[in-house]
Amino acid sequence: MQDEAKELIRNFDWVPGSKIVYNIVDYIAGWARKYSIWPIHFVTGCCSPEFMQTSGSEYDMERLGVLPFASVRQCDCIMVVGVVSRKMALRVKYLYEQMGEPKYVVSVGACPTGKGPFYDSYAVVAVDEYVPVDVYIPGCPPRPEAIIHGMMLLQEKIKKERRIGVRNA
Amino acid sequence: MTEPVIEPDIMRISWGPQHPMSGQTRIIIDVDGEKVHRIIADLGFTHRGIEKILEKRTFLQGIIPMERMVMADTPNIGLGYVMAVEEVLGIEVPERANWIRSLLCEMARINSHLYAFGLQAESTGYFPAVFLWTTIDRAVILDLFEELTGARWSLNFFMPGGVHNNLPEGFEDKVVKGAQYLRKRFEDYWEAMVENAVFEMRCNDVAVLKPEDAIRLGATGPVLRGSGVAMDVRKDEPYAAYADIDFEVVTESACDVMARTKVRYREIVQSLNMMEQIACEMPKGPIRKKVPLFARSKAGEALSRVETARGELGVHMFTDGGMNPYRVKINSPTLRNMYVFERLAELDELLVADVPVVINSIDPWYLDSDR
Amino acid sequence: MVSETPEEAFVESIKATYPDAIISAEVLRPKRVSVVVKRDHFLEIAKSLKDEFGFTHPVSGGALDYPRENRMRMIYYLMNPESRFMLTYGVDLSRDDLKLSSMTSVWEAISFHEREAHEMFGISFEGHPNMVPLLLPPDWKGGHPLRKDFKGEGVEE
Repeated sequence: MQDEAKELIRNFDWVPGSKIVYNIVDYIAGWARKYSIWPIHFVTGCCSPEFMQTSGSEYDMERLGVLPFASVRQCDCIMVVGVVSRKMALRVKYLYEQMGEPKYVVSVGACPTGKGPFYDSYAVVAVDEYVPVDVYIPGCPPRPEAIIHGMMLLQEKIKKERRIGVRNA
Repeated sequence: MTEPVIEPDIMRISWGPQHPMSGQTRIIIDVDGEKVHRIIADLGFTHRGIEKILEKRTFLQGIIPMERMVMADTPNIGLGYVMAVEEVLGIEVPERANWIRSLLCEMARINSHLYAFGLQAESTGYFPAVFLWTTIDRAVILDLFEELTGARWSLNFFMPGGVHNNLPEGFEDKVVKGAQYLRKRFEDYWEAMVENAVFEMRCNDVAVLKPEDAIRLGATGPVLRGSGVAMDVRKDEPYAAYADIDFEVVTESACDVMARTKVRYREIVQSLNMMEQIACEMPKGPIRKKVPLFARSKAGEALSRVETARGELGVHMFTDGGMNPYRVKINSPTLRNMYVFERLAELDELLVADVPVVINSIDPWYLDSDR
Repeated sequence: MVSETPEEAFVESIKATYPDAIISAEVLRPKRVSVVVKRDHFLEIAKSLKDEFGFTHPVSGGALDYPRENRMRMIYYLMNPESRFMLTYGVDLSRDDLKLSSMTSVWEAISFHEREAHEMFGISFEGHPNMVPLLLPPDWKGGHPLRKDFKGEGVEE
């Protein structure tokens, strides 16, 4: 999708005023998209109770627009919450491939980032060997404020995107 | 996993790790129309190799990976490991430390049972309201944990020889106030869940597990006590301060899903009474006995049993004179209950829509069965 | 006469019933009894533990690896619902011949634990109804992880 978007930019660059139109469209699209990140309802390990507390009543993640949703095709983010074992890493990859573009990956916790307290285990993998990760949230388990901060960093990243989905253009 | 061949006229549903209600496991349900023909549990999605890791850590370092077995109930799990270490090293714990351990264990039991309630409400009628109530009520306990230990879930507060720190000023009053607040909220839970017509229709006489079957199949925890068998490690082999606290073992005779929910509810009420009793009667004294940082043990073995919220946890530790244990065998409660869950399809007639209700009445925590 | 605890009564009676098949039967501390038997009489004593001595509640099963003595030990954890003490029932196997008859014919709930012992240590249980890997991934091509000489095989990058 990134190649098609770049094609589009190149084809219409000669039109005077196209850049201003694109900037306005990007701004509105970025604002709309960053406030409705829908992650897949998928927990892989022991950080799950902290994730559920964060989307609960006290630290409400839904006021940022983050709604865990069950259907994979309609989500745009996969939050890998907790330890990823070898058997589960394959499922993470399948889910990542099933999502529609543009898509993001957030690695919540110390374990998917770099194996956490199980650093010398034969059965644990770091999730960025399987999918490309956008935001890493450290902690064991991370505090709810840290998870919300991580989602806000993802929102910043989405806001900076140009031409919907082209990163770092 | 090499699955058995699908029989003719049977449809196979793979209820997999990505599903809002399945947890971190895959349950294969063979159905014939609406009736469940067979259930196969595919475990191992959260296997971390904790038993192998514990062989590479010293006795004190081993508490960290061990506690991450069940995140909602870490004091009980940590206590199982610490008691085994103390038996191997031959350490006796002062009395006040035992009372503080019991206090934290009971608070964690309430935390874990509330989590189970929330999941059961979500699976029965999609009552997300009850799930969100439990997040607020658990916040009371998590704030108390944070004030005492600095962490919300994985406390790491017990160590061989006692506990890390003494209770701060005024902590006992906060515990009593928290218990009184939770007690008022529980009347709402009883009305919303147990006396609710929808809940009764979905839970009465579903998945009946008779007492002989429960014993024969190795059930443990509220699953066993919901079938009328009064086995609780806190009464059979009192550890920590349970010999001095009065409480009763809660059993129900109806043996179905509703009985297990009522057992958890009444256990929460018992734990609230225990919290208040411990906060008022805590003895004074030292909280820790000094143990060298890199302690060496003699060759031997020790088996400790602890009643966690889901059942009985056993930690069998073998040592050979080094600084690390030689082998740690963990007897996990959820692995025993998952076998009971697989056999429930044969013992009682289940429909497909009953399967989430039944599995949340067993209250599994898959990180515990996969270790 | 000093009254016997149920643990001591059990140890006396099992030693009297099978005097030559038992390698050791002792009370380690209150509520913990450990029995180690010879391999040939393993199944028969297990059946009598269930039928005559009342150990109907299976708890768990696991194994241990002693490479320097060239043996492994398989332990079953059992409980009697009346007397409420924990029995660890063990048998020694030589590392060159890791075969044992499955206990699922006596206590069917031991099935999961034997599957785990098989994939973690390599002990094969004869007569097990469903010997598939329990915890490791189905395409695991490595060794047996909980053995002492496991060097990380099967962990490909």
